[in-house]
Amino acid sequence: MPEESLITPEVRALVGRESPAVPVRVTRRAVERTLELYQGAHPGTLEPGKPVTSFVLVALDNEAEAIDVPQLLPDSLLISNEMEFDRQIVLGDDLMATWRVADISERFGGRFGYSVYVRTETVFRDPVGNPVARSARTMMHYDARNAAGGEEP
Amino acid sequence: MSRYGDLHEGDEIPSLELKPGLGMAIRYCAIGWVFPPIFFDVEAAHAQGMPGMMVPGPLKLGFLYRAVEEWLGDGGFVRHVRAAHRRPDLQGRTITVTGRVARLYEEEGSHRADIELAVVNDEGQQSVRGFASVQFFD
Repeated sequence: MPEESLITPEVRALVGRESPAVPVRVTRRAVERTLELYQGAHPGTLEPGKPVTSFVLVALDNEAEAIDVPQLLPDSLLISNEMEFDRQIVLGDDLMATWRVADISERFGGRFGYSVYVRTETVFRDPVGNPVARSARTMMHYDARNAAGGEEP
Repeated sequence: MSRYGDLHEGDEIPSLELKPGLGMAIRYCAIGWVFPPIFFDVEAAHAQGMPGMMVPGPLKLGFLYRAVEEWLGDGGFVRHVRAAHRRPDLQGRTITVTGRVARLYEEEGSHRADIELAVVNDEGQQSVRGFASVQFFD
């Protein structure tokens, strides 16, 4: 188990780094697959320009180019995630997606031993740059050999 | 459909019972083209110290979203949904999403509500502590 921080200045410098924006479109297929995924229902027919499930971002998240964060420890777990919307997402929305590293922190001790927390965000903006939505997730990186079991972090 | 004027703080939203399995986990992997082996390879899950294949966390965020969406109906839309994962949920086990209206308020000229959410496993343990904020149309 590391007794010193694995968060080097090089790793810390990743915080705030943002990937180039990439275009994403809210397509009928993405909406249908999202509904099938979480077994949601859409009332009526899907029409361009009309609101759809905002959870469709789950299908678009990975279109943004991720910033590579070094794998400091062998194992990882998602410990939190969220989606936030400034307005409803509509079918046919053309958005620009950007990935950024929001925070990197660490914890010594605890049930999982030494662990590193990496929070990343995907920000979705409309074509003129107004924020539309944001999805974020925090991964805990750890070494399973030091973990006491699959309980809460 | 939920209307702001009909709600009270403390109201419970209808619970949602699910039994997510391997098929649902694979759909999650496919939709974002991400394939962590712990979702479909039991040996990989064991190697990470897990007792079995896990339900993907982002999928559980979707279940929270769905519970709120179904309760809200055409009455408004979800502005924020968040999941704090407290313990893993194993595939093939029943989980239940529960929620209650924690706060009713006005913000930026619209009626809103904060919803406290949870995913509870079949042993009665809370595996996810969740939160949602919704905006009403009325």
